[in-house]
Amino acid sequence: MAQRTGPDVDYPVRHLRFGWWSLLVFLSVGFVLELLHGFKAGFYLDVTNETRRLMWTLAHAHGGLLGLVHVAWALCLRAFPDLEDGNQRVISRCLMGASALLPGGFFAGGVQLYGGDPGLGIIVVPAGAACLATAVFLTARATRRCG
Amino acid sequence: MPRPPRRRPPSVPAPSAGDPSRRPHSASTLRYAPAILILAASTGLGAALALTADRPIPESEVVDRPVRVTADGYVSSDTCRACHPSEYESWHGSYHRTMTQVATPDTVSADFDEVRVDAVHGSAMQLERRGDELWAEFDDPGWEGPEAERPRIRRRVVMMTGSHHQNVYWYATGHDRGLNVLPGAYLLDEDKWVPRSSLVLHPPGQSLAMLDGHWNAVCIVCHTTLGRTAFDTPYRSVPFAEQAVDTTVAEFGIACESCHGPAEAHVEANRNPLRRYGRHLAGDGDPTIVQPATLDPARSSQVCGQCHSVWEYYEPEDERRASREGLPYRPGDELRDTRFIVQPAADRTSADIRALVAADPDFVRGSFWPDGTIRVSGREYNGLLDSPCFRDAEAPERTLSCFSCHAMHKTADDPRTVAEWADTHQVSAGMDGDEACLQCHEPLRADPAAHTRHAPESAGSRCYNCHMPYTSYGLLKAIRSHTVGSPSAAETVQLGRPNACNLCHLDKTLAWTAEALDEWYDMPVPPMRNGDRTVAAGLRWMLAGDAGLRALTAWSMGWGPAQEASGTTWMVPHLGEALGDPYDAVRFIAARSLRSLPGYANLDYDFVGPRQARVDAAVRVLREWRASPAARLRREPELLVDPSGELRVDAMRRLFDARDRRPLFLRE
Repeated sequence: MAQRTGPDVDYPVRHLRFGWWSLLVFLSVGFVLELLHGFKAGFYLDVTNETRRLMWTLAHAHGGLLGLVHVAWALCLRAFPDLEDGNQRVISRCLMGASALLPGGFFAGGVQLYGGDPGLGIIVVPAGAACLATAVFLTARATRRCG
Repeated sequence: MPRPPRRRPPSVPAPSAGDPSRRPHSASTLRYAPAILILAASTGLGAALALTADRPIPESEVVDRPVRVTADGYVSSDTCRACHPSEYESWHGSYHRTMTQVATPDTVSADFDEVRVDAVHGSAMQLERRGDELWAEFDDPGWEGPEAERPRIRRRVVMMTGSHHQNVYWYATGHDRGLNVLPGAYLLDEDKWVPRSSLVLHPPGQSLAMLDGHWNAVCIVCHTTLGRTAFDTPYRSVPFAEQAVDTTVAEFGIACESCHGPAEAHVEANRNPLRRYGRHLAGDGDPTIVQPATLDPARSSQVCGQCHSVWEYYEPEDERRASREGLPYRPGDELRDTRFIVQPAADRTSADIRALVAADPDFVRGSFWPDGTIRVSGREYNGLLDSPCFRDAEAPERTLSCFSCHAMHKTADDPRTVAEWADTHQVSAGMDGDEACLQCHEPLRADPAAHTRHAPESAGSRCYNCHMPYTSYGLLKAIRSHTVGSPSAAETVQLGRPNACNLCHLDKTLAWTAEALDEWYDMPVPPMRNGDRTVAAGLRWMLAGDAGLRALTAWSMGWGPAQEASGTTWMVPHLGEALGDPYDAVRFIAARSLRSLPGYANLDYDFVGPRQARVDAAVRVLREWRASPAARLRREPELLVDPSGELRVDAMRRLFDARDRRPLFLRE
């Protein structure tokens, strides 16, 4: 029987699922990016589009790594029940937000470019970074009770 | 059902107090010692290789050539790249960037690896590559003693000019940052070394002076960004060895800031992302940088005109100041405030131009046709100034400017590659045809043939061919005139400048052209000499014209549209005769055109080979042509062929005797 960590939500299961599905999505994104390399897609590889390539690579990398963070957090919650300090809801939402805003912002920033500047989508990336930082901080603080 | 506990494989004994795997730490480390040693050795070897590898010497440590410095608000194209990758990419692919480069094995087009170059005046030049350094041994150009005792010198080749058609190489003189030119230059298309002086059309028997410091004093002005000669005394006012030469540039080649001005303030202002995005969203210009394409037509063209014009300093002190500080002109300025633009078509009597002619009587003739129209390449701004489309335009939106037809950056909607765009003179997308003119002359679009009197798809219906004919010379070829005008037989009679009609219809007389222009455009037939009525214009120019006109005509004989309009069989003996022309450049062009004719692709001829070999080649061409059926295909009298098909040598001789033999040095 799944361990319940909140009144209604099983956070480990939710983030385990989200993490693995996220990994699958961004693995697929990586595959698409490799195809763009393989077929020498100009809108991705031309010198003119260096910023797009950077943005989409960052979207791929951040999405994939955040998927791993979701999985890691879910496993930690199971392995170290002491991590549960009532902030799981906040941490969960922050991680979800980071997973949407970081790769999403980088991707959107690469859709439309202003010369060497990314498009306006990039403005949500700092918000995503703040979400991730918050989640990491709260989790790190909760580790005081472990062991 | 609970799983049974896992067991360790029998081969791995369980740890115990007496287990050897629990021996002291040092013993365990020793087991890995070989691997650690290998890793350490590999790291050390890698570090040693990295430290001892040949690496370019930092500019700050270079002492024998001009160097790049950051000064006066110039930040270099490296800085521009981060925010303007598209513009950087197209500029990087342009020949503007590579106009001047530091000579390295990667930048030079010629092979320097133990190569002997015979195509120089005097003894052969020996090239050598030492690692990443390029060296040359050649006759000392500065020797002033007996020719037989001229010593050899060995110098390091440090710089090069040109990357599109030719490489001209510069060596370190050994005195400060002074450069001089190698006696041989390299032609890219021909894959061939030629004497440096043969690249320019200059009087025969004269080898162009090879002067220490020439690059520093002259070439730097237009072939770099913010070049500072930095001579302590005026060039050649004292022996070169007594001058201090600390030449610097903001950038080798023509870089971003040549056209946009110094960008330091622009870069500083745009470090703020809020400002940048504000400008992105507003979509208007940025006042911290000059955008030439948005200047008015006169000012925008002056940005190009700062180099693409014939100009001089107003006062000697202006030159001294430019030597110290670089030229004062900045994009957006009024160009004439900073220099004298030589424009004989508009100004023949001013004190400035009289002073120029007094100092150098051939100054005007070496750059202009008798009416003041520019006749050399690289000076297109002079042509623009004299064009009615610019000079007489009233509304800015209908004023011709350089940007009407050219784009300094390939645009996103341009289907060509950067290389194709660069190779086609950076003409804007779609502007390599009639559209360049029709964007203003819209009424001609509907029925162009009614205006051109030529078949719509023929070369005779292309605006450029009639209104921008190949009457300028440079780079061993003909260049389109940038003085937009209309064909005129009168100008040919009065000025000797070839007209567009006969540059294509080389086999027709000037009278034939005059009558056609009269019939089609009501241009009165001018009074003309008998020869203009009886001899094909192409032949008159080829036989009796000055060296510049002969070069243009020889080039036209190799030009596809002219070959199609005029036929080619009759050209052979005349191009063959030009293989013996006294001017190197004319011989080179004649040989190239001859090789474009059917049956002559493999012509064995060296334009700078021994004189007798050249004569033999010319005689061989003529003899073979006479023996061929082609010789009797065209028997028109204006082609100087009699009814039996024999060349009228007497008539040719008369024209040859009347040739304009005044020495000509075209200052491209």
